[in-house]
Amino acid sequence: MDKIKRIVVAGVSKKFITGHKNNLGVLARLLLLSNREPKSLVYVLKDVSFDVFSGEILGVVGDNGSGKSTLLRTIAGVYSPDEGRVVVEGKVIALINLVIGLKDRLSMKENIFLCCSLFGLSQNEIKEKLHNIVDFSGLQNFFNTKIYQFSEGMKQRLAFSIAIHCNPDILLLDEVFEVGDEDFKKKSGKSIVDIADRGGCVVIVSHETEIIKKYCNRVLQIDRGIITMNSRPGRIKL
Amino acid sequence: MINLKKPLKKIKNILGLGFVLAKTEFKLRNEGSYLGIFWYLLNPILTFGLLLLVFGDRLGNNIREYPLYLLMGVIMFNFFQSSTIESTRTIIKDNVGVIKSINFPRESLILSIVIKNFFSHFFEMVLFAILLAYFHISLVGILYYFFILFFFCLFIFGVSLTLSSSTVYLVDIENIWSFAVRLLWLGTPIFYAIAGQTKLLYLNLFNPMYYFLTAARDIVIYAKEPDFFIVSGMIFFTALSFVFGVFIFNILKTRFAERM
Repeated sequence: MDKIKRIVVAGVSKKFITGHKNNLGVLARLLLLSNREPKSLVYVLKDVSFDVFSGEILGVVGDNGSGKSTLLRTIAGVYSPDEGRVVVEGKVIALINLVIGLKDRLSMKENIFLCCSLFGLSQNEIKEKLHNIVDFSGLQNFFNTKIYQFSEGMKQRLAFSIAIHCNPDILLLDEVFEVGDEDFKKKSGKSIVDIADRGGCVVIVSHETEIIKKYCNRVLQIDRGIITMNSRPGRIKL
Repeated sequence: MINLKKPLKKIKNILGLGFVLAKTEFKLRNEGSYLGIFWYLLNPILTFGLLLLVFGDRLGNNIREYPLYLLMGVIMFNFFQSSTIESTRTIIKDNVGVIKSINFPRESLILSIVIKNFFSHFFEMVLFAILLAYFHISLVGILYYFFILFFFCLFIFGVSLTLSSSTVYLVDIENIWSFAVRLLWLGTPIFYAIAGQTKLLYLNLFNPMYYFLTAARDIVIYAKEPDFFIVSGMIFFTALSFVFGVFIFNILKTRFAERM
């Protein structure tokens, strides 16, 4: 199978304006028109370029605040780049800090419908996948239970199950991989390898060396918004 | 040839997700509530009852079918007020986490508020229909009301798009709008008529609610065609609100996630 570029990140820079005067009301803005705080810009990503091909599992590593999550959000389309461009080929599903819109006061079934809808699935598609999602999560006995009664681990399993069943061609995982018990870790590991094997790609942001070495074909190391290394996992010092 | 497939698919996605979110919010709002739809009716019933008690004799004498005139004003304004005030909170307070994590059509959040309040408005309309029957007035007018409601929903959606996106940049819009909507409530002929009050009439020419209320009352209560001027005003303000709302929301939405 010919490899296609699933993700193209070309010369991407992302900056944020910092300072307390960033969030002002109408009157405060009017009063400050003549006395503006100088803009303080922080570049979180600087001229970042790389490609991810179908079949690849890419790891992204770096210290806290190095720009890993910003990179993932930019690929997911949550942030728009200030410079450069991001091109994605296929459906992107991002699981960033496990926030997928789960509502505590809804049951597991209702949450599956809600979150899959946020990921762009139609009601019929969700009905078709409902049982697979529940079976994968291993939470069959809690189908009609409101999830405020779930432990954090159960919520993580549910979120992961939903994400991988939403037909991702590109799966973005931010610090959420290998959650739950040993069985679930094995299942989730296999599922991301399956996504790559069927022509998709996966990007994993993690601080855990073992995960990166176990699953990734390639690793990007980011330091203060700049890619400092792009190579095989074995060559990167974590 | 222009390819309409992509924009149509986008609209379908926004509508689909909007309905799902509205259904969810509706469920959450009714969770554990034994009184159910009664809660939706409580606010308009109390407002209506109180206003009828206070102004019924003084202002109501010169207005035909005053209780119906008043209730129509109360429930339509309630729909507008609830939707727009809620929209000032939806982006910056209620959905921050999901906006920062998932790329979904943000318009759906605003649409869901309008749909959810439309459900409530529907129950209020049932109450209104009962009152119509009590006054022996034909219910046929309510069918025509759906025509006005279509424009009214688009108008509210447009205003809500503008408010919700502006709040991300101007944090006190929520407070300002709550205050502005109170002023608008007093300035709109809800419990009084503006006939003979020239200044108030001129002011209301700039008030979109005036056009919607007048058209609805003419059709539903008085069984007459609204003036061309009123219908034109209604369509004009709907188009203005919708186009401006979509335009401003599209410009501002690209920075929602990073501004919060």
